[in-house]
Order: sequence, then C-alpha cells, then structure tokens
Amino acid sequence: MKTFGRYVFLIAVIAFPSSLVAQQISVRAQLEARGLPPALVEEVSTVAADATAQGLPPDLMVDKAVEGWAKGVPQARIMAVVQQQARLLEQAHESLRAQGFDAPSGPIVTASAEAMGRGISAQQVGAVIEAAPTPEAAGPGLRVAAALSAQGLGNEQAVQVVTRAMRRGETPEEILNMPSYARAMRAQGMEMGQIGERLMQGSGAMRGAGPGPGMGTRPPGVPPDPGKRPRRP
Amino acid sequence: MSEDRQYSSDAQRYMDGELHAPLSDTEQKDADRLMHAVQAYSEQISAPDSHLDDAVLDEIRKARSRSAGWRWIFEPRAIRLRPVWVPLAAAAIVALVWLGGRPGTSTDLAAPQATALGDTVFVRFQLLAPEARRVAIAGSFSGWTQDALPLVKENGGLWSITLALPLGEHQYQFVVDGERWIPDPRAHAQIEDGFGGTNSVVIVGPRGVVQS
Amino acid sequence: MELSDGTVVRRVLDGDVELYRVLVERYRGQFGKYAVALVGDSDTAADAMQEAFIRAYRSLSSCRDPERFGAWFHRILTNQCHDARSKRPDPASLDLVDLPGDDRADAATEQTELGDAIAAALAKLTPEQKEAFVMKHVDGRTYEEMAKLTGVGIDALKMRVHRARDGLREMLGGVL
Repeated sequence: MKTFGRYVFLIAVIAFPSSLVAQQISVRAQLEARGLPPALVEEVSTVAADATAQGLPPDLMVDKAVEGWAKGVPQARIMAVVQQQARLLEQAHESLRAQGFDAPSGPIVTASAEAMGRGISAQQVGAVIEAAPTPEAAGPGLRVAAALSAQGLGNEQAVQVVTRAMRRGETPEEILNMPSYARAMRAQGMEMGQIGERLMQGSGAMRGAGPGPGMGTRPPGVPPDPGKRPRRP
Repeated sequence: MSEDRQYSSDAQRYMDGELHAPLSDTEQKDADRLMHAVQAYSEQISAPDSHLDDAVLDEIRKARSRSAGWRWIFEPRAIRLRPVWVPLAAAAIVALVWLGGRPGTSTDLAAPQATALGDTVFVRFQLLAPEARRVAIAGSFSGWTQDALPLVKENGGLWSITLALPLGEHQYQFVVDGERWIPDPRAHAQIEDGFGGTNSVVIVGPRGVVQS
Repeated sequence: MELSDGTVVRRVLDGDVELYRVLVERYRGQFGKYAVALVGDSDTAADAMQEAFIRAYRSLSSCRDPERFGAWFHRILTNQCHDARSKRPDPASLDLVDLPGDDRADAATEQTELGDAIAAALAKLTPEQKEAFVMKHVDGRTYEEMAKLTGVGIDALKMRVHRARDGLREMLGGVL
C-alpha cells in the first residue's frame, strides 16, 4: 500500500506542476509521503509554518528537506539547509518590498529567492520582475536568467537578454527555450559574447507582429536603407 | 527606496481613480501634489503637428518612385500563406537561425530528442557509464526518489530514459548503482545543492531541450 | 463616416497608398504626446514617430490583425522612441531644477519648473515604468485600454505605474 501510494504520488508529481501539488497536499503530508522520520517532519513543518505565517511560501523548504532525505544527508545538515532557505525567502521578500513591489506572490518570492541564492542581485531580480508582462512570466524569466548566467553569460548580460526578450513581447515559453539555444550555439563553437548578442536580438525574424528596431522583415539580398531620410520642415 | 517615500496603497488607488473612501489629509495632499505636477508637465508638451503626415507620405512616395526594380520591398503586399506552411517554415528557419545548420542525427550522442505535447515535453536524458550495473535519475520532478526512474542500458554503455516533463526548470542527478549521485555533464547548468553536492539544472522550453 | 483601421490597412495593401495618411493622422494624434514624453524632446520625438510610421508601412503585411493596427503600431513606436532616447545626450540634472525657497516666482514660472522637474525625473524611470506612467497620466488611459495597447496584464501595469509614482516622489521630494 505504501509503495502504491508512493507511485500514485509520483505520477501526480510528474504530471502536475509541483506548486499545484503543494497547494493540494499539506506540508506535513508531503514530508510523510516521502518517508521522512517523524522528528524531521516535525522540525521542518515548524519552520515551514513560521514562514507561512509571515506570508512566505513553504515550497523551497519542503523541496530541500525531501531532497536531503533522499540523498541520505544527516538530519542536522538537512535542518541547517532548510533554515537557510527560510532566511533566503525572508531576504527576498524584504528586498522586493523595499524595491516597491507591494505584495509579491508566493511563486515570485520563491523564484526571487532562488535567483538571489545563485548570485543574481536584488536589483537585477527587480528588473526582471518589472519587465515581465504578467506575474506568471516573472518566475520563468528569473530561472532562465540564472541558467544563462551559469552557462557563462554572466549576471548582467543574462538579465538583459531576458528583460529585452520580455519587452519584445516574447512569451515565457519562448524565453524558456533560450538556455537550450545557448547550449547548442556553444556546442557549435560560438563564443559566449557572440551567443549573448544572438540572444539579445531574439528570434524576431520569424515573428508575425511588427518588428522592433533592428529586426526588420527585409528579405535576404535586399540592400540596406539608402540613407537618413529628410526631416520634416 | 525607503518606506516613507512610498505612497500608501490607498493613495495609489486614489490616483488610479479607484478609491471611493476619503484619504487622510496628508495622503491627499501628497497625491494631489504629484497629480498637479504631472498635469503641469502634460500641458507643456504637445504632439507633433500635421507636417509629420506630409513628411511620411512624401517619403513613401519617394521610395516607391526611386527604383521600380526594388519597389516590392517598399510596397507592403498582402501575403497569404496557407496555415500549414507557416509553422513548418517558421520551425525550419528558426532552427537554421538558432542552430546554424541541421540538428544532429539520432546516432549522435547528444542529438535533440524532444517532442512537444501541450505544456508537457518529452525529454531524453543520457549518461555514458559502461561500468555501471544500474543507473537511475532522481530530481525535482520525482521528489528525488531514485527507485522509480531507472535508465535503460543501450549499446556502448549508454544509458537513457525519456521523461514527460512540464515546462520550466528541473534539478536532478543520476544515481549510479544506488549509491553514487553524479551530475549530468550535458545539463544547462550545475548548481550547489546546499548539501555539499551539485545538482544539474535543465530548463525545458516548448522546443524541448536542444542539445548538439 | 470614419474608416476603421482594418479597412484602411486592407485598402493600402491593395494599392491605395495615399490612404495611409488616415492612419498617420489618427495615431499622430493618439500617440504623439506619448512619443514626446518617452523621448523627452519634441523634435527627436517627431523624427522617431516619422521613422515608426515608415517602418510600419513597410511591414504592413505582417500586421497580424489589421483591426488592431493601433496596438501593433504602438509597440513599433515605443521601440523607436526608446532607441531615439538612448541616442540623446543625458537630460539636465535634477539639481538644476530647484524651486526657489520662499521667494516664489510667478505662477506660470512655477508651473514650467514643475513640468521640467517631472520631465527630468521621468527620464530616470525604467522603460516599463515610464511607458505605463505616461499612458496613465499624460494620455489619461484606463488600465483596460493600456492592457489592450500593450498586451501586458492589468496587475503588471498597475505595479509599474505605482512604482513610477514612488520613484518620482523619491526623486522630486523637495520639489513636489
């Protein structure tokens, strides 16, 4: 029964976004389903409850506890990491409020905490959140920025690539493709600088809506503009 | 930005035209001062005049008459594509633009192996481990359970598994022989797991995970 | 009777090029102040707007929904304005815009100085904040209208406008 339950849960976890599952199943139940011992469940649940009381999402703490247990990490170490996650969340929340984001949602706070934990500065995080056309686009944007940075673009360029893509009107799905493209270009021998530039330009060539600057629909082989046009009188 | 330099949420709603209850005197004055200043600014500026219309049409006429041979680039034509052409053309050209050539074939170690299905994408994970007796994958998509997702061994000691994953970021590691947790060299990034180890990170987009 | 955007676009694409003037006049009126506020300078804004109209004409066939030419053009214009803005030299420092202490100049001068202060502060907002603030308070649009023009969600637009207001207050504390 226990094994069956585990597989049912597994299918649920793979089939649905983890945040949806987390909403439906309480923190305690999640930890117990993963086989964490009662003492650890208690400790993690307490930290998670504290966070929830402050309006912070518990997901990061639960995920880290589950991960640590699966990896055979000693309980004390697991708790240290869980506490660290709680602090990161608090810091992210504070810094978002200080930048004027009134009531950042759980997913945004989580994504911000993760990004800051990976070296993206609070201001850079703010820039991505602000450029996001919808709140739902902020999380993917932050994760892509963090990945691109880790791939070698560096924080500043990675954040610029993402914010520009958002301003161009690229969807979160299109932005999620970027790390794969970066990887493919790298494997073909392109330098990171070149890769950064290509990503900055985006996939505008194939977009049906109006072009932005530098992304005109000029067909191949056509000469460039004849020169500066005359100003109005 | 310090808290006392921020407008209260009521003041913001007032300035949005969405507050129907009165504000405190201070809040009211603060908000009105900003609105007054913006009004002053707005009255100072004016839109370009109708000379611009003439200039635009002049330019269009000149460009059309400049060279009959190139006229087609200056005249917007109604282009009608049959619906089925557009995605194929788009996909082919995007692939060329982004990858600079054909993706690898399926015999390549790291060929792109993904098909999109709504918001779930099939992603193939591979590890070269000829000496291993068993290899599994564990990650954020499986609650880090190592038992449930075993890889299948193919020729040449290449282990692989294809998973249906939702769009977004996933962290994972391979587990070799039930005891060694190792990262995936072909992941997008490696990050510290906080426990002294390293997690591999893959970002799944609608085109899957393109590797070459 | 006024021709709809869709009708004009289709007729221009069919060869009635002169009819493009209808769209130029319509959107010069609707977006002209927006362009000036984004660029910060009337002449440069007019050039940017001229360029945007030419680009829109050249790509007219790729306008996916001719009935919504306005929203499509708004994006082209916004990009062009940001480009033009980035090529201008830095605007006057806010330090130069100080209201005199208690010796108030006459009302007209004070209005001008207030307006100048807003202009200088606007230049320091992020692109998203500036666009949203101008649409809201210079163009006087509702959030619904702004969402239709930009494709950005209303919540995100409100956030940008709120942050813009806070930013302006921060920058202009002594002047306001």
